[in-house]
Amino acid sequence: MSIWKYLFNLSERRNWYLMKIPEGPLRDYYESTFPTPDTDWRQVDYLALDFETTGLDHAKEEILSIGYAPVKGQSIRLSEADYYLARPSRDIPEASAVVHGILDDRAFSARPLEEVLPRLLHALSGKVMLAHHAAIEYNFLSNACKRIYGYPFIGPVVDTLALEVRAFRSQDKPIRSGDLRLAAARIRYGLPRYPAHNALIDAIAAGELFLAQAAYRRGKRAPMLKDLTVIT
Amino acid sequence: MDIELLEIQDFLSAHHPFDQLPDETLAELPAMLQVRYFRRNTEVSNTDNLATFLCIIRSGAVELYSTENELLARLGEGDIFGYRASHRPNHLEDHCVAIEDSLIYQMPAKAVDRLCEAHAQFAYFFGTTGGDRLRDAISNVGQSADSHVNLMTTPISEIISREPVTVTPNTSILETAQMMSRERVSSILVCAEGQLAGIVTDRDLRNRVVAQGLDVNQPVTEIMTFNPFALDESAYAFEAQLQMARHNIHHLPITRGDGIAGMLTATDLSKIHTTSLVYLVSDIYKQNDIEKMKEVSAKIPELLVNLATADASSDSIGHVITSITDAITIRLLQLAQERFGRPPIPFAWIAAGSQARNEQTAKSDQDNCLVLDDSYRGDEHGEYFKALAQFVCDGLNACGYIYCPGEMMAVTDKWRQPLATWKQYFNQWIDQPEPMALMLTSVFFDMRWVYGNRTLFLELRQHMLEKTRGNRIFLAHMAGNALSHSPPIGFFRNFVLIRGGEHNQTFDLKHNGIVPIVDLARVYSLASGSEAVNTLDRLAVVAEGGEVTQEGARDLKDALEFICDLRVQHQARLIRAGRAADNFMSSDNLSHFERNHLKDAFTVVRTMQNVLGQRYKM
Repeated sequence: MSIWKYLFNLSERRNWYLMKIPEGPLRDYYESTFPTPDTDWRQVDYLALDFETTGLDHAKEEILSIGYAPVKGQSIRLSEADYYLARPSRDIPEASAVVHGILDDRAFSARPLEEVLPRLLHALSGKVMLAHHAAIEYNFLSNACKRIYGYPFIGPVVDTLALEVRAFRSQDKPIRSGDLRLAAARIRYGLPRYPAHNALIDAIAAGELFLAQAAYRRGKRAPMLKDLTVIT
Repeated sequence: MDIELLEIQDFLSAHHPFDQLPDETLAELPAMLQVRYFRRNTEVSNTDNLATFLCIIRSGAVELYSTENELLARLGEGDIFGYRASHRPNHLEDHCVAIEDSLIYQMPAKAVDRLCEAHAQFAYFFGTTGGDRLRDAISNVGQSADSHVNLMTTPISEIISREPVTVTPNTSILETAQMMSRERVSSILVCAEGQLAGIVTDRDLRNRVVAQGLDVNQPVTEIMTFNPFALDESAYAFEAQLQMARHNIHHLPITRGDGIAGMLTATDLSKIHTTSLVYLVSDIYKQNDIEKMKEVSAKIPELLVNLATADASSDSIGHVITSITDAITIRLLQLAQERFGRPPIPFAWIAAGSQARNEQTAKSDQDNCLVLDDSYRGDEHGEYFKALAQFVCDGLNACGYIYCPGEMMAVTDKWRQPLATWKQYFNQWIDQPEPMALMLTSVFFDMRWVYGNRTLFLELRQHMLEKTRGNRIFLAHMAGNALSHSPPIGFFRNFVLIRGGEHNQTFDLKHNGIVPIVDLARVYSLASGSEAVNTLDRLAVVAEGGEVTQEGARDLKDALEFICDLRVQHQARLIRAGRAADNFMSSDNLSHFERNHLKDAFTVVRTMQNVLGQRYKM
């Protein structure tokens, strides 16, 4: 990531892009102001998001499916949840198909990412991106935006994995291998077991984990958005 | 929504009342939901928003409280609350607290309304009262349309096929015979002013007319049997079979209230399918020793299984099994008299408790007493009746009706007394009620004559009812007694939740299910001075008398039938598995459906207990 983020905050960089980006879905996204870091976390809207991809390297691999559900007023709104596939430009590697179960036939009947990305950007407008190990979603999305619109994606992000690391550290608990996986984290908060590796279920699972983490945060006052985000 | 929310859809479809919805509607449900997380010991909803959502517990547990902070329900995975899913009538629910970290699905009230409009079965779950839902449950699981017709479950009214053939008392013997010939009947009823006066059979014409060379122009009253034994048409065919065996008769007049309904013959009974067991039971009257009677009574569990399999109602099963107890009791008394001679003075053998109420099951002990004529003199008659009572109570014990743990039996000296002493007993119980004494003696407030001099019984019962009717002080004590057994609050996971929030692994069908309703009906009945003893009969009668509202009585009746049917099925299951019948049902064995309706039944009982408590200012 560039040195920019150390010099300018998110809002300033958003203004910069607004001046440069031509008409289109990404510009529409930047038209909405970002939720401000000093807001009570309960007043902020989030979009719990998950991608299934052809691999882990965001520079080389592609997005296969997108699942999301908004979180507003401490509740996950399934009525606004959505899920869709994106057509990859090449065959799906067997190693990833084993994980997400999306096979070539289904993937190739989907529309290309250029056509579905506007829906996602619209859903993200004015919201905070929320994901478990959010770097994956953030980087894949930003890469896709660069490829399709010529500019990267930026925005505030809540990472439930990072929050989990903080929870462990604040309690001085050692983190063992596997402790931070979504399913393992959910068990600690009494959340039900879900089948993994479907983008929508994983997005909802991350959303629920977030609500649980927020409910469990200690402190006299309710946290601010900036207390929960990794990118502000 | 795409297949991707199948996970949530599957969860909903596995739980009531969502299981009532068709697949295409189920697929639309997840998109109607909001998901919320509540940490342990935080408030899930309060008075203001409890009704705005229907809440479904996905994981965790919550407790519902009233405005007085009384625990109303503890709910776990798959349970619902909020909206109109009331766990108490009149929406007493006030707030709800998570007792474990809980994930809750919320469905907006408007979405539930739309589902209710489109799906009647689903809407039924949110009906106004538990009583209504119970009625539905009983008609769903109860008597299936093609249940086996047999003697046990068929009321006599369904067997008698024709209008009664009758003559008046001044008809001549000749005309009577001609009438019987024309109508092709083997017996005829003699009626005076619409009431049964006597009966004449083919055999009477042979033995009393032809063989005696009697003048056939004499009135029929010369040869008829006066005031023959009769049964009401509401009795079960099984009862008729037993009475015919007991009195060795083949024609049984059937009454309808005060009037005449018809004639039931042995041939009528043999026309309907029956099991050999019934004939075996009617053989009780032919047995001369206790060993043979033991063989018959040993088949009671098998009988219960057969009846349960045939979908007989618990009410009819109670009557059938009790009539076997009656038959054994009567035969034992007959045998006792053969052994010890004719009784020196009149006596009445009286059944108490469940036998009196016709509510016995495969597991019952004996409750009985002897009322002797007031000419009783201990030194002269004491030995005879002691021996008689000992013989009968021992015989009953041998047949599986174990000695009453409270010794409420005729063999106990105290419960084998002249009528005057019995009246004093009741005077004392009613005029100076003591809670402990009443609890023990309440079985005697359920009395039914079984054998001997019926007048003694009638006089005692009349004495008792005159004293209890409207006697507020006594009734307040009986009401207190009736409130001592309360139904559970509900279920929580695999436990039965009892008052105060404690858990039980099993549900005591008898003490926490049936006894509270029996006790309520007894209070109503004694308050109104009704002669009814059977709980369903009591509920039917007292509702007419205004002691309890029609609706309240109907709800209690439904609650009782539901719990009793459950007990019958439970005991049948144990017997089939080769185990002894008991009253303890593990909550694991309860289906989701049964749990829901049991909760409704508990609610009905609790409501009626509250009403009673308020009426007598408990």
